[in-house]
Amino acid sequence: MSNPHTPIKRSRRLSLAVAVTALVGTTALAGCSVSNSENAGGDTASGVGDTLRIVLQQEPPTLEACESNLTSTGVVVRSTITEPLIERNPTTGELEPKLATEWSSEDDTTWRLTLREGVKFHDGSDFTAEDAAATIDRAVNSDLGCNVEGYVFGDDDLELNVVDDFTLEVTAPSADPILPLRLSFLEVVPAETSSTEKVREPIGTGPYQLDEWQAGQHINASAFADYWGEAPAFEKANYQWRSEGSVRAAMITSGEAEIATGLSPEDNIGDLGVSYPNNETVALRMHADTAPFDDIRVRQAVNYAVDQESIVQALYGGRDLAAAQLVPEGIVGHDADLPVWDYDPEKAKELVEEAKADGADVTAPINLIVRTAQFPKIEELAQVIQEQLTQAGLNVNLQMLETSQHLIYQVRPFPTDDDGAIMLMIQHGNQAGDAAFTVEQYMTTTGAQSAFGTEELDSMIKEASTLTGDERQAAYEEIFGYQNEEVVQFAHISHQTGMLGISAAVDYEPNSASGDELRLSEVTPAQ
Amino acid sequence: MLTYLRKRIISSALPLVVVVVGVFALARLTGNPASLYLPLNATEAMREDFVVRNGLDQPLWIQMGRYFGGILRLDFGTSMRTGQDAADMALRAFPATLQLAGMTMAIAIVLAVFVGSAAALKPNGILDRFASFLSMTAASIPDFWLAIVGIWVFAITLGWVPTSGVAGAAAWVLPVATLVMRPFGALVQVIRGAMVSSLSEPYIKLARSKGATQYRVVGSHALRNAAAPGLTVAGDLTVGLVNGAVVVETIFGWPGIGKLMIDSILQRDFAVLQACVLLTAVAIFILNILIDLGYALLDPRVRPSAGARGRRRARSARRGNPTEIKDPAATGASV
Repeated sequence: MSNPHTPIKRSRRLSLAVAVTALVGTTALAGCSVSNSENAGGDTASGVGDTLRIVLQQEPPTLEACESNLTSTGVVVRSTITEPLIERNPTTGELEPKLATEWSSEDDTTWRLTLREGVKFHDGSDFTAEDAAATIDRAVNSDLGCNVEGYVFGDDDLELNVVDDFTLEVTAPSADPILPLRLSFLEVVPAETSSTEKVREPIGTGPYQLDEWQAGQHINASAFADYWGEAPAFEKANYQWRSEGSVRAAMITSGEAEIATGLSPEDNIGDLGVSYPNNETVALRMHADTAPFDDIRVRQAVNYAVDQESIVQALYGGRDLAAAQLVPEGIVGHDADLPVWDYDPEKAKELVEEAKADGADVTAPINLIVRTAQFPKIEELAQVIQEQLTQAGLNVNLQMLETSQHLIYQVRPFPTDDDGAIMLMIQHGNQAGDAAFTVEQYMTTTGAQSAFGTEELDSMIKEASTLTGDERQAAYEEIFGYQNEEVVQFAHISHQTGMLGISAAVDYEPNSASGDELRLSEVTPAQ
Repeated sequence: MLTYLRKRIISSALPLVVVVVGVFALARLTGNPASLYLPLNATEAMREDFVVRNGLDQPLWIQMGRYFGGILRLDFGTSMRTGQDAADMALRAFPATLQLAGMTMAIAIVLAVFVGSAAALKPNGILDRFASFLSMTAASIPDFWLAIVGIWVFAITLGWVPTSGVAGAAAWVLPVATLVMRPFGALVQVIRGAMVSSLSEPYIKLARSKGATQYRVVGSHALRNAAAPGLTVAGDLTVGLVNGAVVVETIFGWPGIGKLMIDSILQRDFAVLQACVLLTAVAIFILNILIDLGYALLDPRVRPSAGARGRRRARSARRGNPTEIKDPAATGASV
């Protein structure tokens, strides 16, 4: 070997060394932060251990109690980590005592709540009326900008009066017969909780307390030893998240999790997929400010042209139900006798022809605006609707948009498209159990998600909100009937079903709220 | 070398600023995020309050001024979605992506060097044809499909590895195997091509004629000369992985920066998006310097000159231009 070889050899070794060091280095360095945290719940193969493992669609953005009306937060927090004063039974719709044992009002304006004694927070402090008052004050009256404030309470503040340790008076600005229902959305936190900053990991009174939140990976919780109620069946709980439905399903079939949320039949889950009515309703909202929707006959024609029954059967395997209104059974105000529009393509064509004969511009373009991946098979659904409306003689363009683009059309102020009338596909879930939350938003002339309405309907809605009992029920039934007869802002499609994956190792009966509020204390090992 | 480094750093800083400013402005052009964060029935007053609270009511240039002022104080803003520090979120996610990229590239490079070299020994031989088929297939399989099939076969049917997650070494198998395919396929092709042309060079004949073993001829003389194009392609592939393997991270629940970036785009979580972009841009900038240093180590002629020329050489070598690149070992041997 001649001399010139030597430096080259060295540099080769050096380069190899650099490359290897770089690769191994990144791997090892990075390795520390990710894989040193073993997941809880080692029992994968054999049945179920003392850990209940849940796989969600996404990581909760926060566990802040006053944001628990957000599905991805509430599914972990509500009635598991924290608890409300009053709890709504999702099956019967009845309000049931939780941290408040009784509530009553003389005038529907001031409500007097009697609170449960002997309840402890996870930090060991006692629950009193001060905590309940602070919770309401923090969520409704503060400047935190809590999501639940906008969702349930609006701009109005509540007046709070702590009578004694276990009695609280809440006063609404005006008569509010459903104030207890509104309060059921507030998860109680200790009075010491910051009212100027949101808290990502709340202290509650629930059956489970938070142990560890490893961002991006998992949340661990364990049974709270001093829980006032019955101890949950599982000692520990572990939440993970996977955005792919088929992966969540695979985790159930391979024994890596006991419960998976948000599945669809395409996820290959087989018998372990349990479907349940999830309170979501799909409909088309027609904006009547532009031709051809400025003619009510065209809006009626849309209703006749869409074959709801075939859609429900062919696309959704007969699990969903054809809808005649925006709220499903189980919601106060749902009219079980309201007929679903007939599928009558001939009638639809006739109505379009009639409108045309009277000078309506029925060939004006309609933009069918649909949110990509909002629910399973939404694209197929949109294409079917487009085809059926085209058959009726309408000119429909399909636009698939991502969430934030779709939202521009969903809430006021609505954009006015120069290139056509707007027909928006909406998916509405009434978590609250009372039609008031639906109609005020979707049917009044100025409702955030209402394209138009009538003065008469506005006054009917206002009137209904002050009523109670059977009168309330009848008033909302009348409102839904009126919309289908006189307004026709909507063409309803279906009441949907959701699907949970439930391992054979556990027993759990899903209900209409399971997607928003998965009460872990209701899950038990299989018998 | 230091002058060279300094030049590289200065010339790369400008694109960095352009990227950050561009992302800042473009993200804000996509509209007001208020409706994504507020309940759909939020009142006008709530919407205004949200916009003011997040400083989105200010003109763009004031927002940008504040942002750059913040960067100087290492304050990268707060996530609208989680309320956490945006830089913390990005820094927490990035190691997961880096380790996935590091492991993937290490395996892909080692495998590709062996398969590519072996294939080049007898061009058009059986082994070569098989390697070519294998690498074409590997490079063209869609990763989401491979990931789902992998889960189905190895996690559900066979039960050898967990479906997803980051717990334990077994959880690495499927994501890494899925990710390795494309770089492996591309690198085999490149290394095979470069090796075929190296092995037909005169200095190889010389090495053989002086009695060097096959191992030494291939492993030392030819491979060293073929390494530059391999490095170019491997560098490009690594840059792609460092940006986040979105599909794989999403499917396997890997808490990396690709998933974080996509989520922050969809959620219009500007601060997090900017932090992620800035972090990956800096990482790619560093990676590019490392790649250039790699050239310098591989090829002494690159050292005194600018990096761009070395790259150009390497690229033309990849295209199979034998005249431009000459083996230093050959020069040495002929003395």
